Amino acid sequence: MKAPWYERNTPLLEATRTELTTQYSDLRVVIEHGTFHIRGSFPVMDGAEVMDRFLIEIKFPFDYPESIPVLREVGGRIPWHEDRHVIPGNGEACPIIPEEWLIRPDYDSVLAFLNGPVRNFFLGQILVESGQPWPFGERSHGLPGLIEAYGEVLGTSDEHTLRRYLDCLSREALKGHWECPCGSTKRLRDCHLNEVKSLRERILPRVAQQAINRLDELSARQRKIQHT
Amino acid sequence: MDTNEYLQSVLSGQSLGDDSGELKELQTQRAVVEKLIRESFGAVPIIRYGGSKAKGTLIKESYDLDIVCYLPSDSDAAGTTLQEIYENVRNCLNKGYIVEEKTSALRLKGKTADNYMRDFHIDVVPGRFTDEDKSDCFIHQNSADKCRLKTNLDVHISHVLGSGVVDAIRLLKLWKTRKGIRVKQFVFELLIIDLIDGKKAKPLPEQLKHVWEEISSSSDPIHVEDPANPSGNDLADVMKAAWPALKSEATNTLNTIKWSGWEAVFGKVSVSKSATVAEKAQRASAFVSTPNKPWCPRG
Repeated sequence: MKAPWYERNTPLLEATRTELTTQYSDLRVVIEHGTFHIRGSFPVMDGAEVMDRFLIEIKFPFDYPESIPVLREVGGRIPWHEDRHVIPGNGEACPIIPEEWLIRPDYDSVLAFLNGPVRNFFLGQILVESGQPWPFGERSHGLPGLIEAYGEVLGTSDEHTLRRYLDCLSREALKGHWECPCGSTKRLRDCHLNEVKSLRERILPRVAQQAINRLDELSARQRKIQHT
Repeated sequence: MDTNEYLQSVLSGQSLGDDSGELKELQTQRAVVEKLIRESFGAVPIIRYGGSKAKGTLIKESYDLDIVCYLPSDSDAAGTTLQEIYENVRNCLNKGYIVEEKTSALRLKGKTADNYMRDFHIDVVPGRFTDEDKSDCFIHQNSADKCRLKTNLDVHISHVLGSGVVDAIRLLKLWKTRKGIRVKQFVFELLIIDLIDGKKAKPLPEQLKHVWEEISSSSDPIHVEDPANPSGNDLADVMKAAWPALKSEATNTLNTIKWSGWEAVFGKVSVSKSATVAEKAQRASAFVSTPNKPWCPRG
């Protein structure tokens, strides 16, 4: 069986510990039942001042950083509700669409995760608690939200076109004679080859494959709901 | 501001005034809890505050309201056995809440869609007095070696209130909360009281450092005793499970104080009261360099 990420990648483990110590001294590392967690009080900073705090637990997946850490608010302050971006079934928070995070250059930095999506999520929760909207907007729930997010990266809002782009990006190598994913029926080399090459610099094949899997999963769930 | 004044300011910031939103909500929920219990079991159960509210150890960042619901020793109003009492009280609270079963308490969470699973920070502890004195009490224990535990709320309250170290308890509770250390608060309080005994006359910073030094230097868990049931309530397992985290964080904290000072432990004390948290959040949002939108796979 493959060892967990913190045993396979000790430099990343050390970097994660160091990053935590530098800015989030109340968050501590707990390795429990073979899983790496961060637990403690997350300070939502406003400059040097702590404006609010949330008790959190972040579970790092076995294949971290290839999958996004899972955030939970464990103080019971945030209701488990889709409109608060917390999954009602298990209390997992959804601060960002996973692939939006995984294509960022600093996706393997715990500090970037805490200072980015986690802080933004709690800033939003503070505002929503006081009756205000989410500060940076919010994604639609379910499949439409995925299509919005992937569409912003790939430059199309059509699901079929998105899938063709993702399929193309999920391959290990590009071939110019392939049909262009834009739907023009032209060969890739005669159409969007440069754009696809540029996308490949940002989106690794495994991330594109994860996006396809997520689209498939949510499409299947949507069909099931419509069926029932 | 010296260290003592600083720590007092930290404590002031953790106070929940009687007119605070948090306490008002707790009181509203207590009324709902009492109504549900009275509707099911009439006037017989004795319902009163326990926990940090009664002991004066509430802090803003971790405020739980313990409500005890004790039946007289000769009453079958909520069941004949302790387990029946526990289950019947749970069932009655289920009408208004999602009830999470803890070892002896029932934790209340939101049931409606807009409050779903929101933690009301309320634990209801059902039990039955052992005799007519209405002092000692038996409570049911789920998933424990013994299915009942003798306890005494008044002894617990007076042990903490009379300890003379409530300020140190509140600060160390804040420390434990922020570090996410999972140890039963009551057991942690017993440890603090034992460790500071003999240092009560010392200033608050010295009391805290003494507690951390004792924890840090003890490779084995320190033994504590439940004053309400010294021989029948073995707390060794609770302490053993939490000891590695307590020891490691105590050591880290002492180093933090040494190299970076007390503010690195409890944070800066806010002096500006001009803007609300929401106003500050609004302003802070405007300076976010990498905004992102939250999502939910369901819905």
